[in-house]
Amino acid sequence: MDERPVSPALKIAAGLMFLFLLAPLLVVLPISFSGDDFMAFPPSSWSVKWYGAIFANSVMMNAFWISLALAFVVTVLSLGIGLPAAYALVRLKPPGAEALSNLFSAPLLLPTIVLGLALLLVFAPMGLIGSFQGLVAAHLIVTLPYAVRVLSTALANLPLTVEEAAGMLGARPLTVFFRVTLPMMRSGLVSTTALCFLVSFDEVVLSLFMTGPRLQTLPVAMYNHVDQQADPMAAAISVLLVVLTLAVVLVVDRTAGLTRTFVK
Amino acid sequence: MIHAEPAEMTRLAQGQGFLSLRGLTRRYDHFTAVDDLNLDVAKGELVAFLGPSGCGKTTSLRMIAGLVPASSGHIVVDGRDLTGVAPYKRDMGLVFQSYALFPHMDIARNVAFGLEMRKVPKAEAAQRVKEAIAMVRLTGREHHRPAQLSGGQQQRVALARALVVRPSILLLDEPLSNLDAKLRDEMRTEIRDIQKRLGITAIFVTHDQMEALTICDKVVVMNHGRLEQVGTPHEIYEHPKTAFVAGFVGRINRLSGRASGGVAQVAGITVSAPGFEGDVDVMVRPHRMVLSTGPAPADAGLHQLSGTVTRATFAGDILEYEVEAAGTLLKTEASTRGGEALLAPGTPVTLSWRPQDTFVYAAS
Repeated sequence: MDERPVSPALKIAAGLMFLFLLAPLLVVLPISFSGDDFMAFPPSSWSVKWYGAIFANSVMMNAFWISLALAFVVTVLSLGIGLPAAYALVRLKPPGAEALSNLFSAPLLLPTIVLGLALLLVFAPMGLIGSFQGLVAAHLIVTLPYAVRVLSTALANLPLTVEEAAGMLGARPLTVFFRVTLPMMRSGLVSTTALCFLVSFDEVVLSLFMTGPRLQTLPVAMYNHVDQQADPMAAAISVLLVVLTLAVVLVVDRTAGLTRTFVK
Repeated sequence: MIHAEPAEMTRLAQGQGFLSLRGLTRRYDHFTAVDDLNLDVAKGELVAFLGPSGCGKTTSLRMIAGLVPASSGHIVVDGRDLTGVAPYKRDMGLVFQSYALFPHMDIARNVAFGLEMRKVPKAEAAQRVKEAIAMVRLTGREHHRPAQLSGGQQQRVALARALVVRPSILLLDEPLSNLDAKLRDEMRTEIRDIQKRLGITAIFVTHDQMEALTICDKVVVMNHGRLEQVGTPHEIYEHPKTAFVAGFVGRINRLSGRASGGVAQVAGITVSAPGFEGDVDVMVRPHRMVLSTGPAPADAGLHQLSGTVTRATFAGDILEYEVEAAGTLLKTEASTRGGEALLAPGTPVTLSWRPQDTFVYAAS
């Protein structure tokens, strides 16, 4: 990216914007270290007891492992379905590829509450509510559009001649895909993985419709917890989630370059 | 896959060349990119496909490579009909204008790729990669990534990568067009030297007549998907068969005239035009028109036109003139070998040229 001089006014505007975005964290972070038994800002005493409380809370720990497993399965499936779909749309260009590609992004245009309600109506008679499979299917609806989009863009930006060159050197189409196309899509693959994982891990609305009393994801467990008691544990979990997200973003930045991955 | 009938096979086998194109055609919905291309290329020849952009030269090359399917016609290499065969089974090397190196592999692995696909034993492959890299003078750069090399170096890697597998034919698609002028001249000679040393049959697609004339054994001039002329660089330049070839290869002056009874009247002089009737275009290359001042040199054997200098340009090695004669602007040039001074505009001059330097075509 080219570096251009930034005017002081723009710097101030950007600073205010960042402050606005960070404001929740500026409240949550102190509260997470509160020694009080209820959420209050500023806290009257300091402690790390609420971090300890998370690990002692079996409901939260259960929900964490379910969310982790769910995000993992959803990410693997998104890549497994999104990659062939993107390849078909971009490289094989079936008739109506443009329309199909728009159709695949359609779920992103629907409010998740509408999607959630629709899924509830469809999944309930099938007995999928409160099941892991149901959650996976629901999350795929929101992660797949991202996966297909990002992978299509990554694929479309590849010079076709490099793949043709591999073919001319005697590589069969499948060999070309695994030895040339896929490695060249690395940054697209890394960003798709990160995006799908985070979208699934953070998803609340759809999960609220899909979860039952015996199967809760972490965001749903947090929601229920806050609903019932106002202790600062939710703040401590939030801080841990921010740290996790930051870690994912840093990994993406180190392996693929953040601007290259998300901006293009 | 197109299967040739027995009678057709006989006809195909009669092809003279190592590479034979028979009626090769590529049609798209609204236009024909390549129309009935017939060509024979002998083993070890370097043949240029020359023409303006959109003339079908690249489509022809991609059909030979198998990257674009032929609508009809045949591609025969060494007696084997390759029409419809997948590119990866054709055993041809292709060098792209954009280099098309594998960005995620180092130079050695780029060059080794084709050998790996052919399952050449490791030790032999390593030796051949080493030789190929040495051939393009990049020894020591084996473990660089393509992005760390200059354009010229990348194109040399692409050349080594294509040649290391010892392909039956080397295809070059505008390989020098992305390089700057000085590098282009060097690479041109280098490609020719390597091609001759290996004795490999090669097709060189270019829009640059200099590249075609200077390094190729044969030039195929194409326009609007059709073959205009095939010949040695000398034939193409000295005996252009069509007005297009005369105008595209080298510079040209164009005069309009009328022909009847085997001669044409143009700008008040008579030129030989056997077989032409009606409107004709008479063409002469600028540097074949000799410019002289004062009374015209009396030479009955030369065609001569009197005119006036309208524009004079000093270009170092040569002096460039625009002369108005018989209502037409003609370009010509004079050498500065003897330190000649530039003539002033308005100077009356005479242009003289040999009859054999006069090309006559039916008016388009």
